[in-house]
Amino acid sequence: MFFYYLKLGAVNLKRNPIITALMVITLAVGVAAAMTTLTILRGMSGDPIPHKSDRLFYVQIDSGPIGRESASGDPDPQLTYADTMNLWRAAKAPRQTPLMGTSGTISPERKDLAPFLTTGLAVGSDFFTMFDVPMLEGQAWTGAQDKAGADVVVITRALRNRMFGENQSAVGKRLTLSQRELTIVGVLDTWNPLPKFYRLVGSNRYGNHEDYFVPIEYAVRVESGIEGQVSCTSRPDPGFKGFLDSDCTWLQYWVELGRADDRQGYLDYLGAYVDEQKKLDRLPRPINNRVSDVMAWMERQGVIDNDTVVATWLAFAFLGVCLVNTVGLLLAKFSARPGEIGVRRALGASRSEIFSQFLTEAGVIGLVGAGLGIALTIAALAYVRQYAQDIALLTEMDLVMLFATIAISLTAALGAGLLPTWRACQVLPAAQLKSQ
Amino acid sequence: MEVRPILSTLFRNKTAPLLIAAQVALTLAIVANSLYIIRERLASAARPSGIDEPNIGWINLSPIGEVADPKTLQDIDLNAIRTIPGVKSAAWVNMMPLTQSGWSSGGMSLKEGDDNSGLGSAHYFSPDSLIDTLGVKLIAGRDFTPDDVFEHDPDQGSALPKSVIITKALAEALKPGETELGKLVGQRLFNAAEQPVTIIGIIERLQTPWSNAGSDGEQSYILPIRYVTGSFQYAVRSEPGQLERVMKEASETLAKLRSDRVLNSQRTFAEIRASRYANELLMAGLLIAVTVFLLLITASGIVGLSSLWVNQRRKQIGVRRALGARRIDVIRYFLVENMLITTGGVLIGLVLTLALNQVLVRQMEVPRLPIEYIGFGMVIMWLLGVASVLGPALRAARVPPAVATRTV
Repeated sequence: MFFYYLKLGAVNLKRNPIITALMVITLAVGVAAAMTTLTILRGMSGDPIPHKSDRLFYVQIDSGPIGRESASGDPDPQLTYADTMNLWRAAKAPRQTPLMGTSGTISPERKDLAPFLTTGLAVGSDFFTMFDVPMLEGQAWTGAQDKAGADVVVITRALRNRMFGENQSAVGKRLTLSQRELTIVGVLDTWNPLPKFYRLVGSNRYGNHEDYFVPIEYAVRVESGIEGQVSCTSRPDPGFKGFLDSDCTWLQYWVELGRADDRQGYLDYLGAYVDEQKKLDRLPRPINNRVSDVMAWMERQGVIDNDTVVATWLAFAFLGVCLVNTVGLLLAKFSARPGEIGVRRALGASRSEIFSQFLTEAGVIGLVGAGLGIALTIAALAYVRQYAQDIALLTEMDLVMLFATIAISLTAALGAGLLPTWRACQVLPAAQLKSQ
Repeated sequence: MEVRPILSTLFRNKTAPLLIAAQVALTLAIVANSLYIIRERLASAARPSGIDEPNIGWINLSPIGEVADPKTLQDIDLNAIRTIPGVKSAAWVNMMPLTQSGWSSGGMSLKEGDDNSGLGSAHYFSPDSLIDTLGVKLIAGRDFTPDDVFEHDPDQGSALPKSVIITKALAEALKPGETELGKLVGQRLFNAAEQPVTIIGIIERLQTPWSNAGSDGEQSYILPIRYVTGSFQYAVRSEPGQLERVMKEASETLAKLRSDRVLNSQRTFAEIRASRYANELLMAGLLIAVTVFLLLITASGIVGLSSLWVNQRRKQIGVRRALGARRIDVIRYFLVENMLITTGGVLIGLVLTLALNQVLVRQMEVPRLPIEYIGFGMVIMWLLGVASVLGPALRAARVPPAVATRTV
């Protein structure tokens, strides 16, 4: 019977074409608005590294002078060079990496390619294992190269394609970065975690992933340009050396611990470190360190954009209106057919038969609405992608969202169909037969 | 007025009127809140930067390696730009309004030792006149002269300028309540540079690179500094209407001068503004689309259900007409009925609007909805209701009295 009802539902789409079209469009627009905003919100709030986000920790030390504390009491989001390097060299965690934004000009060997400016990250070799960075070929540099600040570089697949062409091996080749020769030791496979959780300070959070990675000691040794946020509470002495020795904060620092419970141990270590530095007349403020796991750090940095949350709320309220509207229109559509119901009932159909017939018809409308809704969602996401480039990467619709769209449309249509269907079941066969 | 019979009819057949009322209520809640957010975003994106926007562009070049004599090269660049026909003025400047990245300082104060004043400001500097090149308006004091300019090589030492020009917003924040801002000229400003500097001029407005909401977004100062490093960033002001061509020629000219630099970016101020406010405009656009669709959908719902009623009541309408009711009476019946339903919806909607606004205020730091937006929303809903029911009501008025005589 179900398939017969399905067929009936499809045929009945043609009955009252205007009302039917209105219903389908209403559902589709409501679903598209809700799904578009939800896709973006989901991209913003998702766990970018689910299997270890509770073991990766972002480190903050309250390093400024007394009397210029932030109003919130939170330490500066970044570290000074001195603290970063002390922590890194002590290496108290199983894995750890500093992080510095940088940029450079690449001069390709190919004559047909003009030199171009690009951004990179200066990190420790643990970075790649800590953040599960997939390697296409080669590997990260070694610990010894870390210490020496060796002339090595890891590049992204995109940069390799641009420089050497697709499917060309790049490991062992040279890269001229800001007029210095580096050896390529590894090529990343495509890696675009969103939000860009490893670098939430001083960089676009939803795009612009860096093109190359160099050892941080190398970046410091060649005094490479700093990209990102630099805050100073006093004026540094002249030159790069003066800058390194200053109290400016400009580096980010991550550790990976064996278990989530090891956090307290690391916090204790940081406390002991600050106490020790106080003996050297550094870090005058009371101990106020922070060790936050990935999700806590994203929360602290306010990764989820308020606008998106507001838009999602409004879009779902909009879907609500669309549903109420669909209920009304279905009511109109179904109540135009009391005669048909009366005849079926008189011929022996039970109320539950009528119920399933009309609910199936509502479901068919829901399915058509879902199809149009998905098309509209894809179009809306494409529009957002073009318009707001900083969240462009968030607008990919995956299978989960596709099924969610279909499920929401169907549930919406069936939910909207309940009341009109129930009303249709109330038709008294005798009254209808009499009037004909 | 025949309100009582209409009301009792409505109570006899509750479902459809309730649906319309619910739809009106939800629509009002969303439309009132959206309109307010839309207006706020558009107003934020329309704030003036204080510069001669239609005629200004910004060119950035990055050196590939070390540059031997950056100071001379900056002069060569600027001379080359200035000789392009249609260029009114050009200047080296460390940053531009609305670009979202740049320099800032904290602890601004007119008093010595007041390092924690909590007053921050954008930190502009240029060896040239930004009053000429950006077209900002001087409202008190004077512009810099070449004698005011100090050289600063970050590898050698600190910059030691002696004078500063501040914006009106910064002046007001430095001395709240001062009506004659001109009095600040000649006073010393602390923490803008290494040493205290003397305020020599006040400009009307110069937004910061971040252009935050409120006066924060206009607290800026300019120092007369020549920055001797390999950073080549030039603001170009063209004669009216010639910006596109001038920008193209300027970047071509600069590219021809040397081959050891890369053109990093070349943008007109209109492009800078569009990219700064893309999110605001996107949000406003999405909300406008939602509002329009919502009104259309609600209107279609009212039309649909009213037509249904008209069809169901042909017989009654015929009887009324046969008993002497005029067409206008039939129309009035449907209009009044619709007004009653819409009013019911609007009253529920009032509560919903405030509740939705409460959620937005508490969780999203959206400002509280001003009362006039709710009033405006209510008027829209009434008009929408009347406009939607008019068609079906007119159709009802055309039902001939003869219908009453036909058999059941």
